[in-house]
Amino acid sequence: MLETAPAVRPTRYERFTLSDRIEHWVQVVAFTGLAITGLVQFAADAAFPRSIISALGGINNTRFIHRSFGVVVLLAMAYHFGTAGYRFYVERIGHEIVPGRRDVRAAVHSALFSLGRRSDRPLEGKFTFSEKIEYWSIIWGTVLMAITGLMMWNPVATTKILPGQFIPAAKAAHGGEAILAVLAILIWHTYFIHIRHFNRSMFHGHLTENEMRRDHPAELSAIHGGGARREIAPEELRRRRSRFFAFYVVVVLVGAVSVIGFLTYEEIAIKTVPPDLQSEQVSAPSGPAEGVGSVDAAIRVVSP
Amino acid sequence: MRREARGVVLIAALMAVLVIVGGSTDSVAHAATDWDNDTCLTCHNDPELSMQLESGEELELWIDASRWNDSIHAYWDMQCVQCHSSITATPHDPPSFSDSRGLATSASEECVLCHVDQREFQDSVHAEARNEGNDAAATCSDCHDPHYTADPPLTRDEIPNTCRTCHAEIYDEYEASAHGTALTEGNRDVPTCTDCHGVHDIEGPSNGTFHLFSPQLCAECHADEELMTKYGIRTDVFETYVADFHGRTITLFQEITPDQPTNAPVCVSCHGVHDIRHVDDSTSSVTKENLLSTCQQCHPDADTRFPDAWMSHYSASPQEWPLVFAVQTFYLVAIPIVIGGMLSYVAIDVFGRRRRKKEEEEEERRA
Repeated sequence: MLETAPAVRPTRYERFTLSDRIEHWVQVVAFTGLAITGLVQFAADAAFPRSIISALGGINNTRFIHRSFGVVVLLAMAYHFGTAGYRFYVERIGHEIVPGRRDVRAAVHSALFSLGRRSDRPLEGKFTFSEKIEYWSIIWGTVLMAITGLMMWNPVATTKILPGQFIPAAKAAHGGEAILAVLAILIWHTYFIHIRHFNRSMFHGHLTENEMRRDHPAELSAIHGGGARREIAPEELRRRRSRFFAFYVVVVLVGAVSVIGFLTYEEIAIKTVPPDLQSEQVSAPSGPAEGVGSVDAAIRVVSP
Repeated sequence: MRREARGVVLIAALMAVLVIVGGSTDSVAHAATDWDNDTCLTCHNDPELSMQLESGEELELWIDASRWNDSIHAYWDMQCVQCHSSITATPHDPPSFSDSRGLATSASEECVLCHVDQREFQDSVHAEARNEGNDAAATCSDCHDPHYTADPPLTRDEIPNTCRTCHAEIYDEYEASAHGTALTEGNRDVPTCTDCHGVHDIEGPSNGTFHLFSPQLCAECHADEELMTKYGIRTDVFETYVADFHGRTITLFQEITPDQPTNAPVCVSCHGVHDIRHVDDSTSSVTKENLLSTCQQCHPDADTRFPDAWMSHYSASPQEWPLVFAVQTFYLVAIPIVIGGMLSYVAIDVFGRRRRKKEEEEEERRA
């Protein structure tokens, strides 16, 4: 009998690198922080949000914390575009994340399967349609929140470029998108990642064979079908890498300089209303013509 | 003498009341004389009667009996010597004060003996100034002439004129304002000085709390539907202010950190304080033309497009703020559609999983 070499099948399939996982958890903290400090401002008329604002030390502190988390998200966004760009351009991997007609078909297929109209599940690849919905929602939401957030952060600078009405419009969009994002995460992410099956890959970075077969059968067969990716020649890799880093550094620098410049170039508002007390000549109600004369009273001046 | 008898009874009653309400026992001494006002008028009925104080001021000593008789103190049958308690013999010594401020000071000490509830005056900026040794600051008799004060002590028209005695510059600003002009024209709805500043508990406008809570002061009238309808003024100005960046900040400061200073503006920051003009008045600080310079008080780098960031007390509508309205409408539609869609999809998935589980169980049973 011919002994066949036992197929060396890995028991674990890498899903997320350590840096991916760190990025995710940084995003979790920032998202939660933003949601809490933001929604309490959105609903600041109600008692409970007010008690949170109070616990955070007042509205100025709450806004400061909110913007600090906002900066974390901006940095995480810059990092993400870096790693995603690196994978796309240098390593030529990760193209599966791009949505396509195939994902619409998978979504319909999966629903029909649930309704008993189809007997098989869709053969999903590296990223399922539900994962792509979430990923692109977060990309879209983050970009929109960052833009509208920065617009409100410095309305003076914004209105150097855009009409004034964009400020209250940005406020409306920021609030609406926040509600949408929080509800979407609570429903979609919680259901597909925690309830349907608890996907632990964001803790330890891998999926098991069973999980792969269930959720990413097409990817699994691609791996076993020898669809290993083509090796890239070292010189080509080096060339792409240096080109990419040059581009990335320039983009990040330009982005950072523009954001910092945008936020600081124009004075947003005076920090406190100056105790610009007008010295009003006050005469005594009665008294000798000279001597008691007059006193100065402090009157808050508002008109220039 | 019936009148005297009535006076004695009244004084006795007054004494009893004062003792009961815990009034100072000093006040009892005031009644310890049987002089009536006619005794005093024997001399003080003379329009020419006056004297020169040490300060050189001429002090009129004439009491106009007919005006006195119309006063609230005459109504209550008050006797001269109840307040002028140091006078115990005729002819009496000249007063101990050397100028009219001294007179005002000593007079006010008498007032609070009966007007115990007006001791709150002690919390006002005027009392504070007096406590700091500035006797030029107003006291009771500066606003309320003790001999001729009627009931009410000051009519609405009289109030600004009374304050004007010392605050002439502010009076001029007020007189030309929307409120001041209306008052001059006989309107009794507009606020006078005391409506905003208080009467005997005047806080002083440089107090941060006064500034912080001033929107509610304006809202007392401007959110009053009945009152504003009379003048065709919208009452949602307060709500729309609170809904925007500035008002939201101010109300949160009011509730959470009233002791901290804030750079957010209140009504008067934009509309003016004593010189508030009607919004149709071209000199108003909030007309389209003047709004930018008003914004620049706090946003010095603001540009011509900036004032439109403020929705001018309007809610978004297709006419007023179409872009804001469009964004609001978009989310009003998008949120239920997206979230509803997600919930439906999840529901379908849950349904499918349940059904398959049941089918599997049945198959197992059959097997």
